[in-house]
Amino acid sequence: MRRVEHVMGFPVSVRIDDEDFPEAPVDALFAWLREADARFSPFRPDSEVSRLDRGEVSEPSPGLREVLDLCEEYRIATGGAFDARLPGRGLDPCAVVKGWSVQKGAELLRAAGARRFCVNAGGDVIASGGPWRVGVRHPERADRLCAVLDVTDRALATSARYERGDHILDGRTGRPATGLLGMTVVAPTLTEADTVATAAFALGVEGVAWAAAREHCEVFAVDAGRRVLRSAGFPVAEAPAPGRASRKPTRRTGGPTHRVRGVADGVAPPAAL
Amino acid sequence: MKRAIPVLVLSVAGLIPLWRYAPSHETGSSPAPAQVAAPASTPSVSSSGGTTTTVVSGSLVDTEKGPVRVEVTFDGDEIASVRMLRQPDHPQTTAAVPRLIEETLQAQSADIDTVSGATITSDGYRESLQAALDAKG
Repeated sequence: MRRVEHVMGFPVSVRIDDEDFPEAPVDALFAWLREADARFSPFRPDSEVSRLDRGEVSEPSPGLREVLDLCEEYRIATGGAFDARLPGRGLDPCAVVKGWSVQKGAELLRAAGARRFCVNAGGDVIASGGPWRVGVRHPERADRLCAVLDVTDRALATSARYERGDHILDGRTGRPATGLLGMTVVAPTLTEADTVATAAFALGVEGVAWAAAREHCEVFAVDAGRRVLRSAGFPVAEAPAPGRASRKPTRRTGGPTHRVRGVADGVAPPAAL
Repeated sequence: MKRAIPVLVLSVAGLIPLWRYAPSHETGSSPAPAQVAAPASTPSVSSSGGTTTTVVSGSLVDTEKGPVRVEVTFDGDEIASVRMLRQPDHPQTTAAVPRLIEETLQAQSADIDTVSGATITSDGYRESLQAALDAKG
């Protein structure tokens, strides 16, 4: 089963390979994401986040409390580089809300019995079961990948500037973080992967080692000089033998193998830039 | 959870690989390699040629994993950098110091199930790899 809906301003693609999986839990996932958007978006004047920021809410709901606690945890862990309350700006917990809410949504699927599924929320991925072949978009070429991973029961998130420009600020300076072209983090949950990726991106080059030192986190970073720095445990997929037309599908549940449109057939030999 | 005690040490230790490839963060007074001889066992302060850069070496602290000493460079009142001058030669800490592999950036294509990338807008989605994968069903 596949479903794509647009929530929070980005597309959310759900693919569930379990046979005869019902629609209702997927409906519940999207309903939850729309609720999270309504409650936690700083761009909606009537959201709980906006009302809290204006002093109209005295006590945050348990959900918002969780989000704010995560913001504070990462602000401290990054020495202020990651900060949901930048001077002169309103409260903006988006960096935490996205991964956190999608993770909670995926847990609705799991609770309903889904075992082999993949949720892609605007480039952030939760892979349940596996192995899933996950590409990391090349930071400068939208039709190319800079890494291919084999991922089982993990989440990964990428922070970069190529889609939304300099939207991640280094809270220590208030200026856009420009030390990295891209930062991808693999972690047990998307809550952690997304927040660590954003926080590491805000930290810049020093964020690479910072993220890699976190327990259960694997990183793949491209610095401003187009150099890749990755942790030893980053789950890079085994390269197919040269000359092979394509990888044979080996997944339990079969299903079609997908080829990226506009990309040469088969696995092109990696081309160094 | 092994986080409780080593976390401060490890967050500092995690920075070690950084000095090998991020010389722009170095102030003029601290171009030294990652491992240097241990300085005096009491904290010592030395000023650089500039007016604000101060390097402070911490005292040698015995932890249950072994001796630890850090050096902090202050730029005014702010911490500019932290270096681990000495870290325990203990498997647990050694393993926790991230080993980073340096590679050349590649541009490849391959059979994949899904794509991770920076948060894409709904507008940008139409032209994206992920849209192509979703459309293929």
